[in-house]
Amino acid sequence: METLGYLGQGFGVATTPLNLLTALCGTLIGTVVGLLPGLGPINGVALLIPIAFALGLPPETSLILLAAVYLGCEYGGRISSILLNIPGEASAVMTAMDGHPLARQGKGGIALSISAAGSFMGGLIATIGVTIFAPLLAKWAVAFGPAEYFVMMVFAITCLAGMAGNKPMKTAVASLIGLLLACVGIDSNSGVYRFTFGSLGLADGIQFVVLVLGLFSISEILVLLERTYYGQSALKTSGRMLFNVKEAMFVKWTVLRSGVVGFFMGILPGAGATMASAVAYMSEKRMASKDNRFGDGDLRGLAAPETANSAAACGSMVPMLTLGVPGSGTTAVMLGALTLYNITPGPLLFQTDPQLVWGLIASLFIANVMLVVMNIPLIRVFTKILAVPYWALVPGIAIVTAIGVYGVHATTFDLFLMIVIGVVGYILRKFDFPLSAVLLGFILGGIMEQNLRRALSISNGDLSILWSSPITWGGWALVVLMIVLPMYRGWRQRQVARPANP
Amino acid sequence: MIYQRLFLTALLIVYAVLAYAATTYEAPFSYEPVGPRAFPLLLLALLAVSTVYLLIRPGQMAEENAETPLTGHVLGRLVLCVLALSLFAFFFEKLGFVVAAFLFAIAMCRLYNGRWVTSVITGAVMSVAFYVLFDRLLDVPLPLGVLSGLGV
Repeated sequence: METLGYLGQGFGVATTPLNLLTALCGTLIGTVVGLLPGLGPINGVALLIPIAFALGLPPETSLILLAAVYLGCEYGGRISSILLNIPGEASAVMTAMDGHPLARQGKGGIALSISAAGSFMGGLIATIGVTIFAPLLAKWAVAFGPAEYFVMMVFAITCLAGMAGNKPMKTAVASLIGLLLACVGIDSNSGVYRFTFGSLGLADGIQFVVLVLGLFSISEILVLLERTYYGQSALKTSGRMLFNVKEAMFVKWTVLRSGVVGFFMGILPGAGATMASAVAYMSEKRMASKDNRFGDGDLRGLAAPETANSAAACGSMVPMLTLGVPGSGTTAVMLGALTLYNITPGPLLFQTDPQLVWGLIASLFIANVMLVVMNIPLIRVFTKILAVPYWALVPGIAIVTAIGVYGVHATTFDLFLMIVIGVVGYILRKFDFPLSAVLLGFILGGIMEQNLRRALSISNGDLSILWSSPITWGGWALVVLMIVLPMYRGWRQRQVARPANP
Repeated sequence: MIYQRLFLTALLIVYAVLAYAATTYEAPFSYEPVGPRAFPLLLLALLAVSTVYLLIRPGQMAEENAETPLTGHVLGRLVLCVLALSLFAFFFEKLGFVVAAFLFAIAMCRLYNGRWVTSVITGAVMSVAFYVLFDRLLDVPLPLGVLSGLGV
């Protein structure tokens, strides 16, 4: 009941004219960014941070903007997946598997509308989940001391690596690089300059905006240069634009299951929308009867990943708000944006800043409704945007990126640093190191070290404080599970594969 | 695979340099047992171990990378792109935002297969529009550089 009261207050915040307008702009921008091939939610959210600052928006409004953009991207990503077979972002990869075949069969309109409805349901299920679980987790998380927090961060990092499928080691390296980057600058405990090599520009550490825009924007510009997609045209959407009752009934259980799966995958730190859509797709495929047409234009194969990735996008707000541990690369960016406002996310946020937290949760509901209302009639307009050529798009992205970085400190040093980070990011990407892990590591690095040092100060250097409470035991157990489980799965797969190829 | 191994080896050298630097970090006075160098050294040790593992078992390359092989032509364009970005950063304050962005946008349009005419128009529109949008409307101060004498 208490929760409903707070949620009511949240709606009070979210429905102010400014916040409604912000949510509307955010969902629109997000959809456009999401549907442009190559740009994903991280880029969209990162590019908007400097703008949100420049506009002087209050923290809850800019958070609503960023969340609306995030949800919008998850919606928009599917359009280019379905019509072009080019996923606008990683979490839309699974959508293309069945969405594009449907479009080729002339069912583009049905595919787009059913995926929009699926995204809506996913978002709705997950937002209800956030409303129920976030306050519970926040209450529980108040019991966390520095040692518990440290274990939690270790869990977040191992989760990331354990979930990363066939490249856990690369994810581990990427997140460790992120952790190390967080060490650059003055050590706040001792005042020692670390890894600055005499450069004044690095004394303050690497600025969050510089790192994000370097890793995601600059490296993306380089990747786009490589691609030869330029000139490829989208399939025309023809025929019926809206799904019918029979089709809706056909996917209803898929949507409900995928929404729940997506939400829980979203909560797990580091797993995020990409993993959620893959897991939902795979499990639906396994559950379907033998005569399924998965991969060949099955509506369930389209609904499952779309529902799950929207659900995961909302779900990833739970660890961000309650523990200050981002659930995905995009929430890591949002977390960074909050710290720019001097707001420390964590369990106490629910007490110190209820209007911020509940305003955000309420705006998730509103953004979802806006998206579905906007998406179904505006599909034809959005598909036109796919025709923007790269030569018009990329210079714009590059210039806005440069303005965003220059705006932080007004020094060109940051611009050069961003380019260097971008080139390194591009190389890491070429060798398949996930950049969102670097970002997550960077966000966690500072708090992780602070908590470790605080814990060891309390115990006077005795390491046993790290496993002195039930929460830490639970945490370490989860860490071990996250390491052992993927190894076991890999071993099982090899066992199964062996008889097939002797 | 060979390029990945070269990259990993380069990373190992970087770790070694950073570790050497980290060993010198000492707090002049300290009231906590850990100090500023333990955490970075721990990370570097973990990084070294996992990088060596990758050197021995590099894993599979992404499909995405197989799709767009780095030919000499692409590499040349990438170098040009980085050069354009660096020149943009270099002249950002010296020439001012409008002029630097104008030239940069033309270069980028050309790199992404835009035609000369459209590139020049895009450059002109973008440089002025972004200046007005950010500097005038959004209050992000951007340097005017050589145009500052015009009294705009």
